[in-house]
Amino acid sequence: MTLETTARADAQISLVDLLDRLLGTGVVLVGDVVISLAGIDLVRVQLEALITSVRSELAPDPHGEAGSDGT
Amino acid sequence: MGASGRYLVAVSRGLDAEALSEVRAIHGSGVHMVECEGLQAIVCDVDLDEFGEEPLRGNLENLAWVEEMARAHHAAVCAVDAVATTVPMRFATIYESDDRVAEQLRVLRDPLTEALDRVEGASEWSVKAYAAPEPPEPADRPRAESGVAYLAQRREAVEARRRRESDDEEALSAFHHELARLAVASRRLQLQDPRLSGRQEPMRMNAAYLVAHHAAERFSDCATTALTGRPDLRAEVDGPWPPYSFAALELS
Repeated sequence: MTLETTARADAQISLVDLLDRLLGTGVVLVGDVVISLAGIDLVRVQLEALITSVRSELAPDPHGEAGSDGT
Repeated sequence: MGASGRYLVAVSRGLDAEALSEVRAIHGSGVHMVECEGLQAIVCDVDLDEFGEEPLRGNLENLAWVEEMARAHHAAVCAVDAVATTVPMRFATIYESDDRVAEQLRVLRDPLTEALDRVEGASEWSVKAYAAPEPPEPADRPRAESGVAYLAQRREAVEARRRRESDDEEALSAFHHELARLAVASRRLQLQDPRLSGRQEPMRMNAAYLVAHHAAERFSDCATTALTGRPDLRAEVDGPWPPYSFAALELS
Protein backbone atom coordinates (compact mmCIF):
# COMPACT_ATOMS: atom_id res chain seq x y z
CA MET A 1 0.00 0.00 0.00
CA THR A 2 1.81 3.08 -1.19
CA LEU A 3 -1.07 5.32 -2.12
CA GLU A 4 -1.85 8.17 0.18
CA THR A 5 -5.27 7.54 1.74
CA THR A 6 -5.73 10.86 3.46
CA ALA A 7 -7.91 13.20 1.47
CA ARG A 8 -6.47 16.47 0.31
CA ALA A 9 -7.83 19.71 1.66
CA ASP A 10 -5.68 22.02 -0.42
CA ALA A 11 -6.78 24.86 -2.64
CA GLN A 12 -5.81 22.97 -5.81
CA ILE A 13 -9.21 21.31 -5.88
CA SER A 14 -11.42 23.06 -8.37
CA LEU A 15 -14.58 24.69 -7.09
CA VAL A 16 -16.76 22.76 -9.51
CA ASP A 17 -15.37 19.42 -8.20
CA LEU A 18 -16.01 20.58 -4.66
CA LEU A 19 -19.57 21.68 -5.36
CA ASP A 20 -20.25 18.39 -7.17
CA ARG A 21 -19.71 16.74 -3.81
CA LEU A 22 -20.81 19.28 -1.21
CA LEU A 23 -24.05 20.05 -3.01
CA GLY A 24 -24.64 17.55 -5.75
CA THR A 25 -24.95 14.26 -3.97
CA GLY A 26 -24.47 13.56 -0.28
CA VAL A 27 -27.74 15.03 0.86
CA VAL A 28 -27.99 13.90 4.40
CA LEU A 29 -29.85 15.79 7.08
CA VAL A 30 -32.46 18.47 6.92
CA GLY A 31 -31.27 21.24 9.18
CA ASP A 32 -33.32 23.80 11.09
CA VAL A 33 -32.45 26.35 8.46
CA VAL A 34 -34.16 25.09 5.35
CA ILE A 35 -33.06 26.31 1.96
CA SER A 36 -35.09 24.86 -0.83
CA LEU A 37 -32.34 25.24 -3.39
CA ALA A 38 -31.21 21.88 -4.67
CA GLY A 39 -27.48 21.78 -5.28
CA ILE A 40 -27.86 21.64 -9.01
CA ASP A 41 -30.11 24.68 -8.98
CA LEU A 42 -27.53 26.57 -7.01
CA VAL A 43 -24.84 25.76 -9.51
CA ARG A 44 -27.14 26.85 -12.30
CA VAL A 45 -27.95 30.11 -10.53
CA GLN A 46 -24.25 30.77 -10.13
CA LEU A 47 -23.53 29.86 -13.70
CA GLU A 48 -26.11 32.33 -14.96
CA ALA A 49 -24.66 35.00 -12.71
CA LEU A 50 -21.14 34.27 -13.91
CA ILE A 51 -22.09 34.31 -17.54
CA THR A 52 -23.98 37.55 -17.09
CA SER A 53 -21.01 39.23 -15.44
CA VAL A 54 -18.58 37.91 -18.04
CA ARG A 55 -20.88 39.14 -20.82
CA SER A 56 -21.14 42.60 -19.37
CA GLU A 57 -17.35 42.79 -19.15
CA LEU A 58 -17.07 41.72 -22.77
CA ALA A 59 -19.58 44.25 -24.04
CA PRO A 60 -17.83 47.61 -24.32
CA ASP A 61 -20.39 48.91 -26.81
CA PRO A 62 -23.26 50.37 -24.79
CA HIS A 63 -25.51 50.09 -27.83
CA GLY A 64 -24.78 46.35 -27.83
CA GLU A 65 -27.42 44.67 -29.90
CA ALA A 66 -28.92 47.73 -31.54
CA GLY A 67 -27.53 46.54 -34.87
CA SER A 68 -30.76 46.38 -36.78
CA ASP A 69 -32.65 49.56 -37.25
CA GLY A 70 -35.91 48.00 -36.13
CA THR A 71 -38.10 50.00 -38.41
CA MET B 1 -23.02 39.54 16.01
CA GLY B 2 -26.48 37.98 15.97
CA ALA B 3 -27.70 34.74 17.49
CA SER B 4 -25.50 31.75 16.83
CA GLY B 5 -26.40 28.46 15.21
CA ARG B 6 -24.59 25.18 14.79
CA TYR B 7 -23.06 24.27 11.46
CA LEU B 8 -22.91 20.49 11.20
CA VAL B 9 -19.74 19.43 9.37
CA ALA B 10 -19.82 15.65 9.69
CA VAL B 11 -20.89 12.68 11.78
CA SER B 12 -18.16 10.32 12.98
CA ARG B 13 -17.57 7.53 15.42
CA GLY B 14 -14.55 6.46 17.44
CA LEU B 15 -13.10 9.95 17.33
CA ASP B 16 -10.83 11.15 20.11
CA ALA B 17 -11.96 14.64 21.19
CA GLU B 18 -8.28 15.62 21.46
CA ALA B 19 -7.96 15.16 17.71
CA LEU B 20 -10.34 18.08 17.14
CA SER B 21 -8.25 20.73 18.85
CA GLU B 22 -6.48 21.74 15.63
CA VAL B 23 -9.47 21.39 13.31
CA ARG B 24 -10.74 24.65 11.80
CA ALA B 25 -14.06 25.08 10.05
CA ILE B 26 -16.18 28.04 8.93
CA HIS B 27 -14.26 31.35 9.12
CA GLY B 28 -11.41 29.42 10.75
CA SER B 29 -13.41 28.75 13.89
CA GLY B 30 -12.75 25.69 16.04
CA VAL B 31 -15.12 22.74 16.20
CA HIS B 32 -16.70 20.81 19.01
CA MET B 33 -18.35 17.46 19.35
CA VAL B 34 -21.94 16.59 20.20
CA GLU B 35 -22.25 12.95 21.24
CA CYS B 36 -25.36 10.81 21.35
CA GLU B 37 -26.05 7.10 20.88
CA GLY B 38 -22.36 6.41 20.17
CA LEU B 39 -22.36 8.89 17.28
CA GLN B 40 -20.33 12.07 17.20
CA ALA B 41 -21.50 15.18 15.42
CA ILE B 42 -18.73 17.63 14.54
CA VAL B 43 -20.10 21.16 14.69
CA CYS B 44 -18.91 24.73 14.71
CA ASP B 45 -20.69 27.92 15.73
CA VAL B 46 -21.92 30.21 12.99
CA ASP B 47 -23.64 33.56 13.09
CA LEU B 48 -27.29 33.34 12.04
CA ASP B 49 -26.92 36.83 10.56
CA GLU B 50 -24.86 34.97 7.96
CA PHE B 51 -26.32 31.44 8.01
CA GLY B 52 -29.96 32.08 8.91
CA GLU B 53 -32.52 31.35 6.23
CA GLU B 54 -32.80 34.82 4.70
CA PRO B 55 -29.10 35.79 4.72
CA LEU B 56 -28.12 32.29 3.57
CA ARG B 57 -30.39 32.57 0.55
CA GLY B 58 -28.64 35.80 -0.42
CA ASN B 59 -25.16 34.48 0.33
CA LEU B 60 -25.73 31.44 -1.87
CA GLU B 61 -25.97 33.83 -4.81
CA ASN B 62 -22.44 35.03 -4.13
CA LEU B 63 -19.99 32.63 -5.70
CA ALA B 64 -17.00 34.02 -3.80
CA TRP B 65 -18.82 33.45 -0.50
CA VAL B 66 -19.85 29.94 -1.55
CA GLU B 67 -16.27 29.11 -2.50
CA GLU B 68 -14.80 30.35 0.77
CA MET B 69 -17.35 28.42 2.83
CA ALA B 70 -17.12 25.28 0.69
CA ARG B 71 -13.35 25.19 1.11
CA ALA B 72 -13.64 25.71 4.87
CA HIS B 73 -16.26 22.95 5.09
CA HIS B 74 -14.09 20.62 3.01
CA ALA B 75 -10.96 21.34 5.07
CA ALA B 76 -12.80 20.44 8.29
CA VAL B 77 -14.30 17.29 6.77
CA CYS B 78 -10.86 16.18 5.55
CA ALA B 79 -9.32 16.77 8.97
CA VAL B 80 -11.97 14.66 10.68
CA ASP B 81 -12.01 12.01 7.94
CA ALA B 82 -8.25 11.58 8.36
CA VAL B 83 -8.64 10.33 11.94
CA ALA B 84 -12.02 8.59 12.15
CA THR B 85 -14.76 6.97 10.09
CA THR B 86 -16.74 9.96 8.86
CA VAL B 87 -19.93 10.75 7.00
CA PRO B 88 -19.64 14.28 5.59
CA MET B 89 -22.72 16.48 5.68
CA ARG B 90 -24.09 18.50 2.85
CA PHE B 91 -22.98 22.11 2.61
CA ALA B 92 -24.74 24.47 5.07
CA THR B 93 -26.58 22.06 7.36
CA ILE B 94 -27.51 24.37 10.22
CA TYR B 95 -29.19 23.67 13.59
CA GLU B 96 -30.39 25.98 16.30
CA SER B 97 -28.49 24.32 19.14
CA ASP B 98 -26.40 21.36 20.30
CA ASP B 99 -29.63 19.85 21.67
CA ARG B 100 -31.19 19.89 18.22
CA VAL B 101 -28.07 18.22 16.80
CA ALA B 102 -28.21 15.52 19.49
CA GLU B 103 -31.88 14.97 18.74
CA GLN B 104 -31.04 14.34 15.06
CA LEU B 105 -28.37 11.83 16.07
CA ARG B 106 -30.92 10.04 18.23
CA VAL B 107 -33.67 10.01 15.62
CA LEU B 108 -31.36 9.05 12.76
CA ARG B 109 -29.14 6.65 14.69
CA ASP B 110 -29.83 3.62 12.46
CA PRO B 111 -29.41 5.20 9.03
CA LEU B 112 -26.35 7.15 10.23
CA THR B 113 -24.82 3.94 11.58
CA GLU B 114 -25.50 2.22 8.26
CA ALA B 115 -23.85 5.07 6.40
CA LEU B 116 -20.80 4.87 8.68
CA ASP B 117 -20.64 1.10 8.18
CA ARG B 118 -20.75 1.60 4.42
CA VAL B 119 -17.85 4.07 4.29
CA GLU B 120 -15.65 2.51 6.97
CA GLY B 121 -12.17 1.67 5.64
CA ALA B 122 -12.89 3.24 2.28
CA SER B 123 -12.49 6.55 0.45
CA GLU B 124 -14.12 8.17 -2.51
CA TRP B 125 -12.28 8.38 -5.85
CA SER B 126 -13.30 10.54 -8.72
CA VAL B 127 -12.80 9.40 -12.32
CA LYS B 128 -13.64 11.69 -15.19
CA ALA B 129 -13.22 11.03 -18.87
CA TYR B 130 -12.86 13.58 -21.62
CA ALA B 131 -13.12 13.15 -25.36
CA ALA B 132 -10.68 14.79 -27.72
CA PRO B 133 -11.80 18.31 -28.62
CA GLU B 134 -14.38 18.35 -31.44
CA PRO B 135 -12.59 18.33 -34.79
CA PRO B 136 -12.96 21.74 -36.44
CA GLU B 137 -14.86 22.01 -39.69
CA PRO B 138 -12.36 21.32 -42.48
CA ALA B 139 -11.45 24.69 -43.95
CA ASP B 140 -11.07 23.34 -47.47
CA ARG B 141 -14.49 21.70 -47.51
CA PRO B 142 -16.27 22.80 -50.70
CA ARG B 143 -19.03 25.25 -49.98
CA ALA B 144 -22.45 23.76 -50.34
CA GLU B 145 -23.88 24.72 -53.72
CA SER B 146 -27.47 24.84 -52.54
CA GLY B 147 -29.62 24.87 -49.45
CA VAL B 148 -30.37 21.17 -49.92
CA ALA B 149 -26.66 20.30 -50.16
CA TYR B 150 -25.96 22.44 -47.09
CA LEU B 151 -28.63 20.66 -45.06
CA ALA B 152 -27.26 17.27 -46.17
CA GLN B 153 -23.79 18.37 -45.00
CA ARG B 154 -25.16 19.48 -41.64
CA ARG B 155 -27.08 16.23 -41.20
CA GLU B 156 -23.97 14.23 -41.98
CA ALA B 157 -21.96 16.20 -39.42
CA VAL B 158 -24.63 15.73 -36.75
CA GLU B 159 -24.84 12.00 -37.50
CA ALA B 160 -21.03 11.60 -37.31
CA ARG B 161 -21.05 13.35 -33.98
CA ARG B 162 -23.87 11.16 -32.67
CA ARG B 163 -21.94 8.03 -33.71
CA ARG B 164 -18.80 9.29 -31.94
CA GLU B 165 -20.73 9.97 -28.75
CA SER B 166 -22.42 6.59 -28.86
CA ASP B 167 -19.05 4.81 -29.37
CA ASP B 168 -17.62 6.81 -26.48
CA GLU B 169 -20.53 5.92 -24.24
CA GLU B 170 -20.13 2.21 -24.99
CA ALA B 171 -16.42 2.27 -24.16
CA LEU B 172 -17.00 4.34 -21.04
CA SER B 173 -19.81 2.16 -19.81
CA ALA B 174 -17.42 -0.83 -19.96
CA PHE B 175 -14.74 1.27 -18.28
CA HIS B 176 -17.15 2.27 -15.52
CA HIS B 177 -18.17 -1.35 -14.91
CA GLU B 178 -14.56 -2.47 -14.71
CA LEU B 179 -13.86 0.21 -12.10
CA ALA B 180 -17.08 -0.52 -10.22
CA ARG B 181 -15.98 -4.14 -9.78
CA LEU B 182 -12.99 -2.87 -7.77
CA ALA B 183 -15.16 -0.59 -5.67
CA VAL B 184 -17.55 -1.06 -2.77
CA ALA B 185 -20.08 1.24 -4.45
CA SER B 186 -20.17 3.55 -7.42
CA ARG B 187 -22.29 6.22 -9.01
CA ARG B 188 -22.18 8.36 -12.09
CA LEU B 189 -22.53 12.07 -11.42
CA GLN B 190 -23.85 14.75 -13.74
CA LEU B 191 -21.40 15.87 -16.39
CA GLN B 192 -19.80 19.18 -15.50
CA ASP B 193 -20.69 22.21 -17.50
CA PRO B 194 -17.59 23.35 -19.42
CA ARG B 195 -18.44 26.94 -18.52
CA LEU B 196 -17.98 26.08 -14.84
CA SER B 197 -15.06 23.67 -15.23
CA GLY B 198 -13.28 25.83 -17.78
CA ARG B 199 -12.36 22.72 -19.81
CA GLN B 200 -12.37 22.77 -23.59
CA GLU B 201 -12.68 19.03 -24.16
CA PRO B 202 -16.17 17.59 -23.88
CA MET B 203 -16.62 15.63 -20.66
CA ARG B 204 -18.02 12.17 -21.31
CA MET B 205 -18.03 10.63 -17.84
CA ASN B 206 -18.05 11.95 -14.29
CA ALA B 207 -18.17 9.14 -11.76
CA ALA B 208 -17.46 8.52 -8.08
CA TYR B 209 -16.31 5.25 -6.56
CA LEU B 210 -16.16 4.17 -2.95
CA VAL B 211 -12.93 2.18 -2.76
CA ALA B 212 -11.50 0.21 0.17
CA HIS B 213 -8.12 1.59 1.25
CA HIS B 214 -6.41 -1.73 0.49
CA ALA B 215 -7.78 -1.68 -3.07
CA ALA B 216 -6.90 1.96 -3.79
CA GLU B 217 -3.68 1.25 -5.66
CA ARG B 218 -5.25 -1.39 -7.89
CA PHE B 219 -8.18 0.92 -8.55
CA SER B 220 -5.95 3.83 -9.45
CA ASP B 221 -3.83 1.63 -11.77
CA CYS B 222 -6.93 0.37 -13.51
CA ALA B 223 -8.37 3.86 -13.90
CA THR B 224 -5.17 5.16 -15.49
CA THR B 225 -4.58 2.22 -17.85
CA ALA B 226 -7.96 0.75 -18.82
CA LEU B 227 -8.64 3.30 -21.56
CA THR B 228 -5.27 2.95 -23.29
CA GLY B 229 -6.98 1.28 -26.25
CA ARG B 230 -8.84 4.53 -26.85
CA PRO B 231 -6.27 7.29 -27.25
CA ASP B 232 -9.08 9.71 -28.07
CA LEU B 233 -10.55 9.33 -24.57
CA ARG B 234 -8.62 10.53 -21.58
CA ALA B 235 -9.35 9.52 -17.99
CA GLU B 236 -8.44 11.62 -14.97
CA VAL B 237 -8.31 10.03 -11.54
CA ASP B 238 -8.56 12.15 -8.44
CA GLY B 239 -8.61 11.08 -4.84
CA PRO B 240 -8.94 10.08 -2.19
CA TRP B 241 -11.92 12.22 -1.22
CA PRO B 242 -13.98 11.93 1.94
CA PRO B 243 -16.99 9.79 0.99
CA TYR B 244 -19.29 12.69 0.07
CA SER B 245 -21.07 10.87 -2.74
CA PHE B 246 -21.82 7.84 -0.60
CA ALA B 247 -23.10 9.54 2.51
CA ALA B 248 -26.76 9.75 1.58
CA LEU B 249 -29.00 8.18 4.15
CA GLU B 250 -31.41 5.47 3.25
CA LEU B 251 -34.48 6.46 5.21
CA SER B 252 -37.14 3.85 5.55
